Amino acid sequence: MAAVCLTASLAAGATPAPEAPIRVGVLAYRGGDHANAVWEPTIRFLAGRFPGRGAEMVPLDLPGMDAAVQNRTVDFVLTNTGNYVELEARYGITRVATLHSSRAGASGASVGSTLIVRSDRTDIRDLGDLKGRTVLASDPDAFGGFQVAWGEMIKAGIDPYRDLKDLRFSGFPLDRIAFAVRDGESDVGVLRACLLEELAAEGRIDPGQFRVLAPRTPPGFDCAVSTDLYPDWPLARLASTPEALAKAVVVALFQMSENDPAAEAGGYVGWTVPLDYQPVHILFRALRIGPYRYLREISLLDIAREHWEWLALGALALLWWAIHSLRVEHLIKVRTAELHAANRSLLHEMAERRRAEQTARDRQKDMDHVARLSILGEMASNLAHELNQPLGAIANYARGCTRRLEAGTGDPMQLAEVTRAIADQADRAGRIIARIRDFVRKRAPQLEPMDVNDGVHAAVALCQGQASNGNAAISLSLADDLPPVLVDRIQIEQVILNLVKNALDAMAETQPGGAGEAVRVVSIRTARDREGRVEVGVADRGHGLTAEAKVRLFEPFFTTKSGGMGLGLSICRTIVEAHGGHLWATDNPGGGTVMRFVLPAAGPATSPMCPTASPSAADELPVVTEERNHDR
Amino acid sequence: MTADLRSADASRTVYVVDDDPAMRHSLAWLIGALGVSVESFGSGEEFLRAVRPDRPGCLVTDVRMPGMSGLELQDMLARAGSLLAVVVITGHGDVPMAARAFRGGAVDFIEKPFNDQLLLDRVHEALETSMRAWAVHARKAEVRSLLARLTPRERQVADLVVAGKLNKVIAAEINLSTKTVELHRHNVMEKLEVGSVADLTRLLIEAE
Repeated sequence: MAAVCLTASLAAGATPAPEAPIRVGVLAYRGGDHANAVWEPTIRFLAGRFPGRGAEMVPLDLPGMDAAVQNRTVDFVLTNTGNYVELEARYGITRVATLHSSRAGASGASVGSTLIVRSDRTDIRDLGDLKGRTVLASDPDAFGGFQVAWGEMIKAGIDPYRDLKDLRFSGFPLDRIAFAVRDGESDVGVLRACLLEELAAEGRIDPGQFRVLAPRTPPGFDCAVSTDLYPDWPLARLASTPEALAKAVVVALFQMSENDPAAEAGGYVGWTVPLDYQPVHILFRALRIGPYRYLREISLLDIAREHWEWLALGALALLWWAIHSLRVEHLIKVRTAELHAANRSLLHEMAERRRAEQTARDRQKDMDHVARLSILGEMASNLAHELNQPLGAIANYARGCTRRLEAGTGDPMQLAEVTRAIADQADRAGRIIARIRDFVRKRAPQLEPMDVNDGVHAAVALCQGQASNGNAAISLSLADDLPPVLVDRIQIEQVILNLVKNALDAMAETQPGGAGEAVRVVSIRTARDREGRVEVGVADRGHGLTAEAKVRLFEPFFTTKSGGMGLGLSICRTIVEAHGGHLWATDNPGGGTVMRFVLPAAGPATSPMCPTASPSAADELPVVTEERNHDR
Repeated sequence: MTADLRSADASRTVYVVDDDPAMRHSLAWLIGALGVSVESFGSGEEFLRAVRPDRPGCLVTDVRMPGMSGLELQDMLARAGSLLAVVVITGHGDVPMAARAFRGGAVDFIEKPFNDQLLLDRVHEALETSMRAWAVHARKAEVRSLLARLTPRERQVADLVVAGKLNKVIAAEINLSTKTVELHRHNVMEKLEVGSVADLTRLLIEAE
């Protein structure tokens, strides 16, 4: 640096209107001292050619180089091939001469990479074998020391940053790389071309210990190399540097002789016409470094370019999927429309059916009610007798009281007892009336757990009058272990009453055997059948059923009785079946008929249900649940 | 007469037969207001087991009952020569049917619902009737026991005396001496405790 300053001051002193010295920016990739040692003689050579002006060397690192070009603080730059290409692209600098290396081949190009392995590593034959190996290079920014080899690896299908087991950089001194390979610390070493030969010449390595991977021999090039060769360092001028100065500098450099001390210090044989740096551009573009770093940002396009077959396949699949989806969607639309249509008609049909069922239920309800009224109508005289018993008893008690009171013979204790009996009989009459009213009332069915035996007792109470009037006996044989049934109480009473009354009617025409002979007996039996259902049987000793009667027994308006309407059994069957049961007739072995029906036992978990809580169950019953609204 | 006193006591019992306990009990209570003793039974069979048919009294029975009906009970009593007067209580409209089935004996029918006075009157009448019948029955039995004291010859003589024949005519008819006939006639008057032929005649008529 002191020499440069001296040169500059000498030049300044020599001319009256001194121009500024020519400033040459030099890439100091190993620091200022190394740059001085190598390049200062060259700059001094230039300065010697421009005595009035002088020349000044400005050692710069890579960022410094960039800033100097951008701010035009230098007139020329002397830099490595890679850096030049980048500055050329970015700031439009132009190479004016290329360093002519002493080792350059016929093309003049002299920069390449040599990949070495230990000579006994027969498992690594070419670049394709690098996958999964460890590789040691000098520096990611080193052109010959790494980037050229990198480009070659990419061509062989190896991405060093992805496919290697390990990629490391040694920095200087570069002989470390050869030692690491020799000592087995790294599988492969990357050296700039000719370094191997230089180290051998210096006696620092034994070239027999190494083998060069994929060696090639460019014409006129003496070093072993694994890659193409690229141009050496150029001297470039900035866009702002005057044409005349550039031409003068080039002319001066071209006149440098082969054994000029400057050339010796720089390790070259002279300067030559600027070589073609296009291969470097191609390399950098492939590596997406330098001026082509931006390519990394649009890697999607690259991927597309690189994997177009897969993309095409993917696109085809996508297209197929899209078409398939559209087709499926279309089919779904069509089917949905069909379903909607079917649904609409189904809803319509359901509404129709519901209306029809409603009508049927209304009719059934009316029939049911009429049947109950009819039974009671037929039983009116018997019911009157039934009611007359308590009323007659009350009258007798009351008049007996009156007479004793009038005669003054009443014993207060006795009178009290009799008035209590009067009240009892009034209650009895009230219960009969309530039972009749319950029975004939139009009402909503209510499902509740019921002991069938209670229904038998209630029905028998209503029939007892008729039985005693007809001199008939009703005998009960009721099982005491019956499970409850979930039924409408009144409807089941209606069924039992109907059957008992039919039995009594059937026997009314038969002749009693004689005093004390109990031929007219209606036997009511309850039991649990084999399937756990509750069975009720009502047996008579009447005239029995003809074959025709047996067939038509449950038809509406079929009757064998002169006074009957023929609705009773038809309605009984409807009621029993609505409760999930079954009603049928059999012959009584000793003569007469047995009517039987079964009802399913209420499940143990079944709780009392009201029709609104269980519309499905209530809907089955012949009487509609909405009745409450319009009948009251 | 001791016989009349006994009959008066016995004949003032009323028996009530009805299968409905309340009706039975209330009837007994009502009839009890007459001051007579009342016994009640749930069925004809029960009554027949408990009461001898030759006793006087009044039977009040319902016509419709399981087992033996009221009419059947009355029929059996009549066949057994019972002295009971029977009041049959019938349902509305049943009287003609009951009357048809009636086979004799002291029977009255009363239709439900009945007036209590009517029932009590009928019961009262029935008791009277029964008592009278029993008195007649008792007198007959007394006369028959008197007649039983006579020898067959004495009875023969008594019948001829009542026929209005003189002693010598009687003696001629039965081949006895007049003296013997007179002795027989004296014995008859003494055994039968009568003082005149008129009394003897009345006694023998009562016995028929």
